[in-house]
Amino acid sequence: MVIRLHACRVAAIAVALAALASAAFGAENNIIRIGALLPMSGPGSYFGAQDRQGIELALDAINKTSVSGYKFEIKFEDSSCSPLPATQAAKRLLEQYKPDVVIGEECSDATLAIMPLMEQAKVPLLNAGSSAIRITEPGNPWTFRIMPNEVMQGVDIATHAYKRLNARTAVLLYENTNAGIGNAKVFNDTFTKLGGKVLADIGFGRDINDFTSIATRIAGVGKIDVIPTYTLEGQGLKISQALLQAGVTRGGGGQAIQLGTIWLPFGFEQKAGRAALGYIRIVQFDPTDQRSLVRNFIDAFKAKYHQDPTHLHAHAYDQIMLIADTVERGATDAQSIRDALAATRSFSGVTGSVEFDKTNQNVKMDTVHYMETLPDLSWKALKWN
Amino acid sequence: MAVVLQQAINGAVLGSLYVLVALGLTIVYGVLTQINFAHADIVTLGAFSAYFFVHGFGGGYIPGIAVAFVVGAILGWAMNAAVFAPLRERGSELLPLIATIGVSVTMENAMLVWFGPIPYAFDSPYSNDVIRFGGTFITMQNALIVSVSALTIGLLYAFMKFTFLGKALRAVSQDRETAGLMGINPDQMILVAFVVASALAGMAGAMLGPVLVLTPFAGTSVIVKAFAIVIIGGFGNFEGTILAGLLVGLIESFTTQYLGPGMIDIVVFALLLVMLAIRPTGLIAEKRDENV
Repeated sequence: MVIRLHACRVAAIAVALAALASAAFGAENNIIRIGALLPMSGPGSYFGAQDRQGIELALDAINKTSVSGYKFEIKFEDSSCSPLPATQAAKRLLEQYKPDVVIGEECSDATLAIMPLMEQAKVPLLNAGSSAIRITEPGNPWTFRIMPNEVMQGVDIATHAYKRLNARTAVLLYENTNAGIGNAKVFNDTFTKLGGKVLADIGFGRDINDFTSIATRIAGVGKIDVIPTYTLEGQGLKISQALLQAGVTRGGGGQAIQLGTIWLPFGFEQKAGRAALGYIRIVQFDPTDQRSLVRNFIDAFKAKYHQDPTHLHAHAYDQIMLIADTVERGATDAQSIRDALAATRSFSGVTGSVEFDKTNQNVKMDTVHYMETLPDLSWKALKWN
Repeated sequence: MAVVLQQAINGAVLGSLYVLVALGLTIVYGVLTQINFAHADIVTLGAFSAYFFVHGFGGGYIPGIAVAFVVGAILGWAMNAAVFAPLRERGSELLPLIATIGVSVTMENAMLVWFGPIPYAFDSPYSNDVIRFGGTFITMQNALIVSVSALTIGLLYAFMKFTFLGKALRAVSQDRETAGLMGINPDQMILVAFVVASALAGMAGAMLGPVLVLTPFAGTSVIVKAFAIVIIGGFGNFEGTILAGLLVGLIESFTTQYLGPGMIDIVVFALLLVMLAIRPTGLIAEKRDENV
């Protein structure tokens, strides 16, 4: 009798444990694992630091409840904006974490290096910060890009420079990377086709610190209308200051207008000071946008971090929200997330809208916002797109 | 003509900066026959010390340079006392060399944690004041860099040539054992070398701060050139380092003007290879028979 009672208890406990294990197993299965390959060290580490804040804000929002019964977790790896560390980080992530989807990298060279690994592992890669055309051309089924590529940005900015600013002469300044060279080439091709003239084409390494010699050379090439500049924030600051000191740009009494890209974070103007006067640049996120989605994002960001969000925060936030959107549309694993991403037609994010073409490039140009720096270093949205 | 003169000015400024960084390397090498890979990080910490003195405590930029000098000196003393001296006592030459790499990585990552990865805008009050003359220009900051470099080089030269401590340092750098037999304590001189070199590195950081992209990796970006300068000038050779620093600065400026900035490293390191092939002792061969 005693033995029978014990057997019943054991059976009951076993059933309870099995139920618990089943629940736990189910809960574990209801998790979307996101891998993040972002630069946390080196000259591009400001990307990673800001991306992480945007990502965590988005995860807070979607994990408050769940999306179609799924929670989201993330693992960050430092890919250093450089091909070799990015490749090593991607391998670690794929082998140890086994993500359903990966976001990153910011720098084109690093993104190009990790793409084959993602394709081999059949894990979708969602990119928001790399502009090199080769990332989506001729098409890669596992890589998606929500930001405008170098051709979209380059053609657009060159056309606006020629038509809206009446620029006829330009000097190209760019870092010698895939993205730098590619962006400068597209500007050059478009601008010269429209009738403009490129007076100097100057590429430089990321190890250059002092830009006085480059500014001196630029000062000697004649009348310059625009200087498209493709570089990371640190070198960008030094370039702007050197151009001011050489009397080339408006802040230094010259006429040239610097044109910049998505690469520079918000706050650049405050750091550059008078050197940023008249600087026109593309940003991925317009903080003056009155859509409720954007206002809510800004309010939530300020509440969490007590600072204003930048476009890097915004595009990282959108990456997570787009993944959540695919899950809401029924995606549950790497393959279905890939398929749902490819089928995205009307996603509206804080940076703009997303619709992928057959190369998995976002074709919506409302993610390109132009800003001009005013004398008080504030921004004027130019509403060119 | 104005462009040539302007690039010569730019080269002299750049060269002065390189000299400030390279002199510390060459002093340590001269005494220890050892490369200090952590030198770059002392430069960076010097830059941050000056930055926080100016922007955090509201201090002046010139006193900030003095603060960076002192921070560098303290760091040099601490590094030698805590890491390098104990390792030297074990008799291995390799251990202190590897330790310099360890100290460098530790410092770099500690600064990354403390200061974050986002570039700092370190504007000195002289960064945007531009002096223009005869179609050329120089910022007050750059004029200050050249002046402080020239003064430092002069004082250091006088210290090495005319003071007992300087002569003792040179004696140890020429022959440590014989200097020891003459009553000079080599360990004390090694400590002096570390303190002087690190103080110079800290000061160089404060001067470089407004010029460099100030991040925890700032010093690393100039240290490779500084190593090249030390080799071109002749390891441990004071005058050679000054000459090589100015030469590299001028080469960089004129390469930028006439060949493009993408060619700078090719030209500088080609010169390094040529020097190693035809004059491995450096631009100025050291006089070993000098009576100090």
